[in-house]
Amino acid sequence: MTAASLPGFPRPRIRRRELGLLLVVAGALALGNLSLGLTRNGSLGLVDPAGLLIYLAALAAVHLALVTAGRRVDEVLLPAVGLLGGIGLLLAERLPQDLVVQQVGPAVLGLASLQLVWLVLALVIAVVVAITVRSDRWLRLYKYTWAASGLGLLALTFVLGTDVNGTRLTLDLGPVSGQPSELLKVILVVFFAAYLAENRVLLADARVRVVGRLTVPPAPYLLPAGLMLALALGIVVIQHDLGAAMLFYAVFLCLFYLATGSKVDVVLGIALFLVGFVLLALVFPHVRDRVATWLDPWADPLGTGYQTIQALHAFARGGLLGTGLGAGLPTVGGQLPIPAVHTDFPLAALGEELGMAGVLAVLGCYLVVVARGLRIAAAAADDVRALLCAGLALVIGVQAAIIAAGNLKLIPLTGITLPFISYGGSSLLVNGLIVGLLLAFSDRGPLPPGEPRRARQRGGGGR
Amino acid sequence: MTVQGRGGRRERPLGGRVARLSLALALVYGGLTLGAGYWQVFRADDLSRDPTDAGMIAAARSVVRGRILDRDGHVLATSRRDASGEPYRVYTDASLSAPLGYASRLYGSAGLEAAYASELLGTGGDDPASRALAKFRPRGQRGDDLRTSLSLSLQRLAVQLLGTDRGAVVALDPRTGDVLAMASTPTYDASGIANPATSRAAFAAATGDPGQPLLDRAIQGRYVPGSVFKIVTAIAGLSSGAITPATTFPQQPAAESTGLLVSGYRVRDGHHPFTGSEVLDFARATEVSCNIWYALAGLRTGGAGMDDAARRLGFGAPIPFDLATASSQLTNGGGPLPGGFADNVELANAAYGQGEVLVTPLQMALVAATVANGGVEPRPRLVTAFVSPTGAVRDVSGGTLGRVLSPGDAAAITAAMTQAVEGADGQRFTSGAQVAGVTVAGKTGTAQLGGTGEPHSWFIGFAPAEAPTIAIAVVVEQGGHGGSRAAPLAGEMLRTFLAAKP
Amino acid sequence: MDPLTLAVWAIRLAFLAALYLFLALVVRALLRDVRAASRDPAGALGRLVVIASASLPAAGSVFPLDAVTTLGRDLGSSVVLDDPFSSARHAVLTFRGRGWYVEDLGSTNGTLVNGVPVAGALPLGFGDELQIGDVRMRLERGLR
Repeated sequence: MTAASLPGFPRPRIRRRELGLLLVVAGALALGNLSLGLTRNGSLGLVDPAGLLIYLAALAAVHLALVTAGRRVDEVLLPAVGLLGGIGLLLAERLPQDLVVQQVGPAVLGLASLQLVWLVLALVIAVVVAITVRSDRWLRLYKYTWAASGLGLLALTFVLGTDVNGTRLTLDLGPVSGQPSELLKVILVVFFAAYLAENRVLLADARVRVVGRLTVPPAPYLLPAGLMLALALGIVVIQHDLGAAMLFYAVFLCLFYLATGSKVDVVLGIALFLVGFVLLALVFPHVRDRVATWLDPWADPLGTGYQTIQALHAFARGGLLGTGLGAGLPTVGGQLPIPAVHTDFPLAALGEELGMAGVLAVLGCYLVVVARGLRIAAAAADDVRALLCAGLALVIGVQAAIIAAGNLKLIPLTGITLPFISYGGSSLLVNGLIVGLLLAFSDRGPLPPGEPRRARQRGGGGR
Repeated sequence: MTVQGRGGRRERPLGGRVARLSLALALVYGGLTLGAGYWQVFRADDLSRDPTDAGMIAAARSVVRGRILDRDGHVLATSRRDASGEPYRVYTDASLSAPLGYASRLYGSAGLEAAYASELLGTGGDDPASRALAKFRPRGQRGDDLRTSLSLSLQRLAVQLLGTDRGAVVALDPRTGDVLAMASTPTYDASGIANPATSRAAFAAATGDPGQPLLDRAIQGRYVPGSVFKIVTAIAGLSSGAITPATTFPQQPAAESTGLLVSGYRVRDGHHPFTGSEVLDFARATEVSCNIWYALAGLRTGGAGMDDAARRLGFGAPIPFDLATASSQLTNGGGPLPGGFADNVELANAAYGQGEVLVTPLQMALVAATVANGGVEPRPRLVTAFVSPTGAVRDVSGGTLGRVLSPGDAAAITAAMTQAVEGADGQRFTSGAQVAGVTVAGKTGTAQLGGTGEPHSWFIGFAPAEAPTIAIAVVVEQGGHGGSRAAPLAGEMLRTFLAAKP
Repeated sequence: MDPLTLAVWAIRLAFLAALYLFLALVVRALLRDVRAASRDPAGALGRLVVIASASLPAAGSVFPLDAVTTLGRDLGSSVVLDDPFSSARHAVLTFRGRGWYVEDLGSTNGTLVNGVPVAGALPLGFGDELQIGDVRMRLERGLR
């Protein structure tokens, strides 16, 4: 047996399960497109067939690239993400194209075209990362460097950034503008995973008694992480980005639990957060306003409560099966009823047009992505990689949960995006990066032989 | 958790924690599902039927509202298109402004136009099934028609008879609760408000009118009832057994001249001196509208008995109806006596319709209807059916609000009320209410308001007394004695109605 | 109901059905994986125990072995060694019917068995020590 004939050597491997799921995704998206076309034009035909074909071709290309690379990476993540992205494209297609307009050279691109461009770029990033990342030393060893760069990015945004809707999230770099807080998510997860994994024993076992039977990890080990977190949260709150603060904190708590297994610490963490939040609400008027609007949007139905009320009405109009793509969101005086629906309230639009059935399906897709990610984490080789994968998966899942809960008035509204569905270049690219990393770390290594050579040649079926 | 198929993994407790975390996440998503269900299923109906809902507003602009018809099929409200092709409402007669309301682009909607907006706009009816089915039909261009119980001729007549006075008339069928007429004056120009060209001016006129035409006095106006309330006292006394038709009070004739002393307060009467020293029984007391007798009857029934009967009739709560109604009251409440009365003086005054009693004309019409219907109170209704553009009819079932008194008691009260209109002494007060060839039962009321103003003129009644087909309540604000304005107005209404129906 | 409305509704419902078909297939795949995992005993052929290590995997780790087990720094390896002296694809352990063999895949720093550098495919017995970089491992009998 020579090295070249080893099954571990990257040789093209058929990914049957992924192919099957992608075909279902393609069929679903085509049906969605036809549905939109029927509602819009009254006849059977695709809306923007070029866009749909480009997207499906991109998915196919990614699939083929993964097949060629031959690594045994997860086969469910790509189709799930492809479905979510496709639904986002359908939504972008359905909304008026002039919500976002950008000049790229001679062409003027509208909402759907821009979303398509970002999605394809995100897929490219995902597949490149999935194929080329073969080791995580660079993440693990330089964790403090990563943390510093993350904070530096945040500070840069604070100093140089532009105010959009009362939040300073955007960094304008000439023709391109982005939201560094998105990238910060990944950087912080890398740092937390590395730090918690290395110190998990100390955090779990060498505890310090605080009061009664309540023990907490010893200060020197909790301090760096705690400081880092508080710093990030502080800057984020000053920048009025409550959603990101909630996201970082929730992911941190989850990773902490995975590292130490201490439920008590998690409960303490949640309690601390609630206390902190109440204090913030008392001190900062903008936090107070958000909470007041959340508790009773009907107190100011034409002002601060308008967005929330319109979103709830959209959900109500959708009912169980929805009004159909393109048939909902009745315009009043030529304007969509929900302001900023493509960034802040995509779930409300989906709720109205696809009904509760559609909303549950979309939530199900996010749960699939998170579950898959957590499973990759559970099967990972060591703690750091496990926490890393878990953290990345949780970033997507918790972010989706936070924005969905905000849309449904279960928690105050925040400004973060619904991954893969909301319009937003930075969000899509970073989520593509996350998926790429998850795929890379999900490599299952060579197929155990013992199967007949024939089967091995065929790639041995998908698993 | 064991590892899968890849050599080189060790057992780790992390697997268990991951499983628990996955479960926690699944629970969070389950919570999201419940949240979605709350808004998309549980609250879906009331949110999407709210007039401020974007869907409703959009429908109102593109869908032609269904027509509103009276009981004989006459069109009461219809739609026309303006120069730019958008529909607007036109109402047949200004007398319909109270029940129908208006529907305009600038000022929203009111009355039946608001209450039944989703049926009129074709976005579905009252039950989730019909609304779900409405989604399957292609977005129609027209909504359902409303068939009402109103009679256009009676409605017009009521407003015409009220003339320049402020007041209200409610006429209904005591057997079914169908509201035949529901007039409130002054009226306003609903067509003017609905027409985009004249919207602003008409609405300004309506809101600026000191007579408050936008107030539907028939169901929202609360008035001192005066003697018409004695029927309620009669119901309370008879059904609780405190009094019988033969009940007399020995101190009553003397009290006519000296006044009845109740806890240091003198209840005065004095408007039937012709009875002299006659000891009145129930029917006679009703015929001459004796305050003393009724005050004593009320005291004997007691606050609890009064309150109980009043609640059965619908006092103390809005009456179930197509439109929002105000609730009538026996007393402002808070007093130590049963029923919330402050003291016996108030109870005595309330018994003959003064004190702190406030009633709506609809409530009093229902009181008359209850007696007319043998003691069972009908449920009032305006809309009797929905007719879809394709001709499918969906009936709205009527009903009752329960039995308030026994048939025997109802018969006794009917007899007393008949005497009040047809009797020799009764005619002194109610002559205008008589209809040739028909036995009319009724009661007038002169509601003293204190101060120097004229009292409200009231009349409630029904006809024919043997087998009533119409019950009526009339109030003319500051119209003087019951017999001056209300009784003749009611008589004219009854005459017209009964003449038309053989 | 006219044909257009029928078509609209049919396609709308088909779209929702396709979404749920996708979810069902994924759930089925997940369940199948879990079942396969519990059915598939790993480590029956042999185990690799890490005696000493300067980095990852930590000393004391036990790796169940498949019939072909690759070792190296690459994430695609069966046993991922984080040692700086380990190549991406360093060595492979194979079970050929009767016994274990170790083969160096042309690594930079070589593989040692009981202190002796490996050339070609060397038979490996239970209890033998394998060294890659600073990581020392011992081949042990599998759990039945």
